[in-house]
Amino acid sequence: MTDTAIEAAALGKRFGWRQKGWALRDCTLRLPVGRVCAVVGPNGAGKSTLLAHAAGLLAPTEGGISVLGTTPSAARERMAYVAQDKPLYPQLTVAETLRMGAELNPRRWDAAVAERIVEEGGLDFGSKIRSLSGGQRTRVALALALGKRPELLLLDEPMADLDPLARHQLMGTLLADSAEHGTTVVMSSHVVAELEGSCDHLFLLGGGRVRLAGPLDALIAAHTLVTGPTGDLAPHTVVESRTTGRQITALIRPEGRIAAGWQTAEPSLEELVLAHLRAPGAPALTLTDEGDADNSRGGNGGDDDGETNGTRTHGASV
Amino acid sequence: MTALTTTASRTRGVPRGLTWTLLRLHSAAVWFWALLVAVAAGALLWAAVPGGDAAWTAYTSGGCDNGVVDEGCNLNAPAIELYDTALYLGSAIINIAPLLVAVWAGAALIGRELENGTAKLAWTQSVTPARWLAAKLALPAAVLSAGTLLLVQLHRMMWEAHTDQWGTRGVWQWHESSIFIANGPAALAHVLLGLAVGVLVGLLTRRSLSSLGYGFFALGGLLYALELARPYLWPARTATTPATEGHPAYIGMTVDEGGITPTGDRVPNPCLTSENCVLGRDVVTHYRDYHPASHFWPLQLVETGVVLAVTALLVLTSFHLLRRRTGGTS
Repeated sequence: MTDTAIEAAALGKRFGWRQKGWALRDCTLRLPVGRVCAVVGPNGAGKSTLLAHAAGLLAPTEGGISVLGTTPSAARERMAYVAQDKPLYPQLTVAETLRMGAELNPRRWDAAVAERIVEEGGLDFGSKIRSLSGGQRTRVALALALGKRPELLLLDEPMADLDPLARHQLMGTLLADSAEHGTTVVMSSHVVAELEGSCDHLFLLGGGRVRLAGPLDALIAAHTLVTGPTGDLAPHTVVESRTTGRQITALIRPEGRIAAGWQTAEPSLEELVLAHLRAPGAPALTLTDEGDADNSRGGNGGDDDGETNGTRTHGASV
Repeated sequence: MTALTTTASRTRGVPRGLTWTLLRLHSAAVWFWALLVAVAAGALLWAAVPGGDAAWTAYTSGGCDNGVVDEGCNLNAPAIELYDTALYLGSAIINIAPLLVAVWAGAALIGRELENGTAKLAWTQSVTPARWLAAKLALPAAVLSAGTLLLVQLHRMMWEAHTDQWGTRGVWQWHESSIFIANGPAALAHVLLGLAVGVLVGLLTRRSLSSLGYGFFALGGLLYALELARPYLWPARTATTPATEGHPAYIGMTVDEGGITPTGDRVPNPCLTSENCVLGRDVVTHYRDYHPASHFWPLQLVETGVVLAVTALLVLTSFHLLRRRTGGTS
């Protein structure tokens, strides 16, 4: 039993033959099992490409990716994937779609889980997929994915079609299910708010490259939001700074003690992400914490020692 | 062991897994194929026995078989017309099936799945893309083969029932393209070629509508090339007559004809253009390359072999393409 859910090594994917057609480039990251990981980034950042590679749907142009300790192809049975557009066969009914899940996953299928998710949405098992709304289709797609009892669940923009109530309820089901079975969940999104409070790991992609990667708590702890009079912030790494009048507000990665006179605050996930999105030139940061790998998710303890055990790479890929 | 047997007997006859899924997804196509086969089989069966007999009665009683023009002979008698229609329907369905299959396989079987992303849904269940493609080839191939073999059997039965009567009068010939194909295993090979072309086109275009067009023209082109190549698939026999005695008789499938000069060169028939006919004395012999009826089976088997080889090549290309795109087992 491996403790790594996803490991990408210099993964790159180019669509077509154009030199500029790289959807993902030099992507190196590792996700321990049992995490709920958010893959964040603007449109075209390579989120879907990364997930499709993990799901064994695309062959890398360069580099490699392994999933659950083996190739994505060999791990096919142990993971589930929900694509961004939630493809389902429109001519099948909901019941037939679930039957298909049972037929195509004979060794893993848990009908009760899948049926419960459909029932919670008040869906009629007899209705055709083509008659469902986008949100209802998302629910069926998630039922199909969870019914497979995956060890790794890959969700590409899972909640985009859902109203806030359904989103909250489905996210709850998802997290409870994954906590109960120790499922590793990877979900991509460009809505950061939708991930706050439900994730403990973050991959921030931009322009096909990794910008931030690591346990969420460690990433937040590695950054400080400072406010103070205009001045030099050296030797700290400045991710982004904005000047209003004589005041400067900056997100920095402290290198040593922050000089007196600066007001400091811990950034929120949204502030962290937005600052990196606004400053595409900021150096990349990858935090790994080996000590965390054996800990199960849920406790904060695992993430706290992340900074001490962590190895840092600054600006490696910029 | 007992438990295994019980499970097996309980589920025997009920398709499972990928087979169930494909049958359910393409049930409309399965029903349409069943309908086509039923219509063609009905037409051929009817033509083989009652229709053929009735037409023959109308033909002979009208005096059409006297070899001379007879006022009572009505080739448009209802019984003969109906018989012709049934024949035409039977062989037309056998001959059009490959094109229908290519268009369907490209658009509905593969193209639509890649376009809608539902292929990703299948590939992220416990089914590898290669197994998905294998099932998408094997299952339609089995269903199409069963139907085509039945129709070929019926067409042969119909052909043999009346070939002595009609054939000797030159009403229809064994080497006419639609009859030649419908009378042997080439029909089956053509249908499988249609499936392989459609699948490859679907994988290449990844769009249902463009697969429809490209599949139609790709298979149409292949079948046309095959028809042009057919006379050369087996060594032809040559009949010659001295130039003074006119041309050799028409026998079976003509491959080539013309004149032979004193030096032994083969030249185009000089009498095809009136001015050159004067030069006819340069030609000492007329020749005609032809296939007699006994070449039916060699021609059928070579064509079947060639088509199946092309089909196998297309199938391998499809698997290679899919493996390269999805990463396969590497």
